[in-house]
Amino acid sequence: MLRRFRLDEPESVAEVSELLGRFGDSAKVYAGGTELLLAMKEGLVHYERLINVKKLKGLGEVASDNGTIKIGALCTHHELENSSLIKQSLPALAQLEQNVANVRVRQAGTLGGNLCFAEPHADPGTLLIALGATMVAQKSSSKREIAAEEFFVDAYETSLEADEVLCEIRVPTPGPNGRSAYLKFGYLERPSVGVAVAFNLINGNLSDIRIAVGCAGPAPKRVAQAEALLSGKSKDEAARNLAQAGALAGRASQAISDLHGAQDYKEHIVGVLLKRAFQAALS
Amino acid sequence: MQFQKEVEILATREKVWRFIWDVDRFIACVPGCKDAKTVEEGKRYTAIMTEKVGPFKVEFPTTIEVLERVELTRIKAQATGTDNKIGSRMKIDLDVNLREQENKTIVEFVAGVDILGKLAALGHGIIKRKADQVLDEFAQAVKQKLEGDG
Repeated sequence: MLRRFRLDEPESVAEVSELLGRFGDSAKVYAGGTELLLAMKEGLVHYERLINVKKLKGLGEVASDNGTIKIGALCTHHELENSSLIKQSLPALAQLEQNVANVRVRQAGTLGGNLCFAEPHADPGTLLIALGATMVAQKSSSKREIAAEEFFVDAYETSLEADEVLCEIRVPTPGPNGRSAYLKFGYLERPSVGVAVAFNLINGNLSDIRIAVGCAGPAPKRVAQAEALLSGKSKDEAARNLAQAGALAGRASQAISDLHGAQDYKEHIVGVLLKRAFQAALS
Repeated sequence: MQFQKEVEILATREKVWRFIWDVDRFIACVPGCKDAKTVEEGKRYTAIMTEKVGPFKVEFPTTIEVLERVELTRIKAQATGTDNKIGSRMKIDLDVNLREQENKTIVEFVAGVDILGKLAALGHGIIKRKADQVLDEFAQAVKQKLEGDG
């Protein structure tokens, strides 16, 4: 049962930040509530105050600006899967959003909430790392950008400071040669493993390749060693190196043995998904 | 969940043994452990164990019972606690074994950790990883404290 709490409804990000700073651990930002309210109902966490940010203006839009897709943190998964700009510019993200959890979660859950809760089996963080996204965090008077791969610190932990609010996710708009894909696998409600790749394909050669793995371990991770095996290679050379890159990515995923699968099983699946994601991105 | 850690300490076995029974100093090495009290010297102690995974915090008022004590060689203890706010229980069966090797002492910690109740919803893997980190930090803190004493 949900215990009593006070609901604050500030009108600006600065006010949210001020409340977070003032009330510390006893307050929490409340957006879609799809993760937070479940945890509260289960009695796993309790906050004296929830800070409702749903009504804040300017955090629910998707826009293209000077080579960057700007996604407001309050955009719901449903809005993103149906956004024509996302579908056109970041098709892998649109497809990912189409497959997040279930329709009820997609309707209410926000991208920002998903990222800030940092549930280890969440999908978006992995692809955003591969896409080279940055997170825009704001506190009272200042803003800063955090690279997606530095945003996730551990299970349920991000690099946001206690009084910072995630406002926007910025994704570089891929050029005409940009390719990307995200694939996941699991047999429970949440995925066991997720793998994302993004690269440019110019005259049959790969460049700017980024690989990220998620869900298997405590937090999504970029795998630079696996990238190095494919970067600058032709499609065929890269395809030959995929098994080795997959093995490296599997080990780098810090896979944990749990109900979603044993560590070595997850590491193997990382390799399989990397091959498939690479092929999907090429097709 | 079973854990095993070994730590080499540049100190005699007598010194390590004395340190283990110096409750205040020893408890200070356990991450998240506070308010340690001796109920019955050498047999029964109480403490508050706190831990945190992201926003999830637990606080277990814990009773530690020494089940077996072999001078300079082995301690077997059991710690049990309940967090009524979250509705979770914890049980740790701890074996500490000491052996001398040249000028150092090898301390082996073997722990069986059971977490029951709602906290288990976080997932076995996450809890195991956290417990592993805690045991690691604990073993390192014991080493630093003893070697730092010179």
